[in-house]
Amino acid sequence: MTTAHYDIVVIGSGPAGQKAAIQGAKAGKRVALIEQEFEVGGACVYRGTIPSKTLRESALQMSRFQRTAEVFEFKLRDDVKVASLMSRLDHVVKTHGRLMNDQLTRNGIERFHGRARFATDREVQITTVEGTSLRLRGEVIVIATGSRPRIPESIPVDHEHILDSDSILSLVYLPKSLTVLGGGVIASEYASIFAILGVQVTMIDTADRPLRFLDQELTDEFFAAFYKSGGRYVGGQQIEEVAWDGCSRVVTRLKSGETVLSEKLLVALGRVANVESLDVQAAGLDLTSRGLIPVNHQCQTPVPHIYAVGDVIGPPALASCAMEQGRRAVRHALGLDPGLDPEHIPMGIYTVPEISSVGLSEQEAVGRYGGALVGRAHFHEIARSQISGMTNGVLKLVADPTTERILGVQIVGEGATELIHIGQMALLNRLHVESFVDTIFNFPTLAEAYRVAALDLLQRRPSRSSVISRDGL
Amino acid sequence: MPTSSIVASTDLDRADELRHVLTRRLDEGELDLPLLPHVANQVLTLAHDPNADAGKLATLIQQDQALAAQILRIANSPAYLPRSPIVSLQQAIAWLGLNMLAGIAFSVSLQSGVFKIVGYEREVQLLWRHALATGLYGKEIARRLRHNVENAFLCGLLHTIGKPLILHVLVSDRQRSMRLPWSVLEPLINEFHIPAGVRLAEAWALPDPVQETIRFYQDDRYHEARSPTKGAVITCLADHLATFLLDPAEMEEDALRALPVIRDLNLYPEDLTALLDLADTVRPSVECLIV
Ligand SMILES: Cc1cc2nc3c(=O)[nH]c(=O)nc-3n(C[C@H](O)[C@H](O)[C@H](O)COP(=O)(O)OP(=O)(O)OC[C@H]3O[C@@H](n4cnc5c(N)ncnc54)[C@H](O)[C@@H]3O)c2cc1C
Repeated sequence: MTTAHYDIVVIGSGPAGQKAAIQGAKAGKRVALIEQEFEVGGACVYRGTIPSKTLRESALQMSRFQRTAEVFEFKLRDDVKVASLMSRLDHVVKTHGRLMNDQLTRNGIERFHGRARFATDREVQITTVEGTSLRLRGEVIVIATGSRPRIPESIPVDHEHILDSDSILSLVYLPKSLTVLGGGVIASEYASIFAILGVQVTMIDTADRPLRFLDQELTDEFFAAFYKSGGRYVGGQQIEEVAWDGCSRVVTRLKSGETVLSEKLLVALGRVANVESLDVQAAGLDLTSRGLIPVNHQCQTPVPHIYAVGDVIGPPALASCAMEQGRRAVRHALGLDPGLDPEHIPMGIYTVPEISSVGLSEQEAVGRYGGALVGRAHFHEIARSQISGMTNGVLKLVADPTTERILGVQIVGEGATELIHIGQMALLNRLHVESFVDTIFNFPTLAEAYRVAALDLLQRRPSRSSVISRDGL
Repeated sequence: MPTSSIVASTDLDRADELRHVLTRRLDEGELDLPLLPHVANQVLTLAHDPNADAGKLATLIQQDQALAAQILRIANSPAYLPRSPIVSLQQAIAWLGLNMLAGIAFSVSLQSGVFKIVGYEREVQLLWRHALATGLYGKEIARRLRHNVENAFLCGLLHTIGKPLILHVLVSDRQRSMRLPWSVLEPLINEFHIPAGVRLAEAWALPDPVQETIRFYQDDRYHEARSPTKGAVITCLADHLATFLLDPAEMEEDALRALPVIRDLNLYPEDLTALLDLADTVRPSVECLIV
């Protein structure tokens, strides 16, 4: 078997692998990218970010149509087919996949279609879909093999009645009811999307509220919207058993004794890293106790010329972070300045309504600075929200109690994932709260919420001594 | 199905004549389409009605004695491994599940209702066996791809619905086809079943992904299918797997593994091995579904 030589070999073409490969190519290196799927793009394009967001957008458009139907005197067909929602999805996904492919080609990256595994710490063996093999040798190797849905052994996922976040994307009709197991990002996103499509959704999780890692003010808003659209959250629960009743319903029995019946069930209980086919031991690597590839702050594994990036190294398991890790790892490997501080990477959660945050939350600021200045803008106070009929939401500005420098922004409400970037720029440029008061934004826009929150913050700051203290939280 | 190479010249003349008849009838839209049996029609509607419940299906099945008897027989067959003997329809429904039951009811009512073709019972049964195996493999392929499996069975089951239809038309044309050997009829069936199946599917208003599968499931056409349900490409492979299972002389394992559709579905050699290992599950399920 002949072995081809490359400066950088990247395994996996999701956001992490792509950005690693492009960074390498832009630095003038010879880069090989190995992908086991037919198309490049990873879970992000085919089973994660892009399809779920497209479905969300279609669902929102439908629900807007439904709300305005009376005003404009038209009627939406009762039997809007999931297939119609899904064919739009298919179109968006294919177009995005093509764009990714073009980008790789433009950058001169060589693509290999096959499943990779380590032969040694420098060599990777590729098995093609036809069963033939070839080997690549890389001075630097980047593992970016991503993740897949975690399915506990006790839950019999059959992709027919009991689905995971992959198979839910190929539903052929909207179920009447859906149980969602999990309280994390994917669970909350799908639960709220299906709820606005008119499906009776029940979320079940061990935590007392969904999205526990977020500021409770944000989750409270999400919760209110979810209940308003008919959703239900059953928290603090352990699952006793999930089974298809062999007839028409999935039965979820909880340890508390409660039973939840639904037509379909979605298992969204986290992700597991794709490492099985890699044989990382052949490269001298061991997995962590959670089955992840161990890395340092620069995404470097204990074998110094092997890096691992994206979902395969665990949380936060976001495409945005995966991209940044890919870029950063290759810059580190090539001895280039990694740039941007990862603390300033925003997080976007595409629930209905959207949630987004950047920098420190109120609690984190109190922990780090002994207190925090906080200002809020409720969307119902903002003219643009009134005009577009989306008045649920709040923007929260967090600032340093001493210097009044902005430390973080949290937003819940439609447009949150776009609005957050103004906050991100403020953080990157170390701006003070006053900057928002002195700045004129377009009117009417949602961005006005920054000004309103800044004014609120300044108004709540009667004197330096009365900033919210750790005890006051 | 093996085809005899010895065909009498008069039979060839008749085959040519029949080919002209079929071409003309298809061109002029004169095919004698059988009506979808009342029960199958209702089963299909129920299976695609998100508001349907098991009770409605049970009522429907109870109205049709033959169907009820077949369902009980199937529910008790070893392929479905009942924990205890199934003695009531309600129990059968609970054991088999609404979707499986809808599939069975639909298949049974088609087999016994529409395509009773006197003199060719064995051949029709072989066609059905193949269609059923295709439906069952279709589900397994979809599962392997982590693609929703609900649609795959129906697409596989009905992808060659045009075959019994063509046979039905040929046999109805008694003067010409009486006593014609299968070796003459089979090539005609293979030649005409897709356009005939498409006609039938349109007339019966079968779901769009099923219509698309009938039209495009073959190796040289599945690229033209557009439905995100992937029914055509999944059925293409399922159809080959069914042939490999039921008629191994028709296809060697190496030839099966070299099919482009496997690559196009991005199934690696180990994925195909896993599918082939399911033969022992699929075979008994097929046998018990045959009326
Ligand atoms: C439903 C859902 C919604 C999401 N929404 C968002 C969102 O809104 N915003 C956000 O930022 N993130 C979101 N994410 C997360 C995001 O999709 C992931 O964090 C991101 O895709 C991770 O990128 P990655 O490159 O690490 O891995 P992946 O995208 O998983 O790509 C890994 C690639 O490696 C390939 N591979 C695996 N093993 C091998 C091998 N041995 N040989 C060759 N190739 C191999 C895989 O086929 C795959 O293509 C969502 C995820 C899901 C599931």
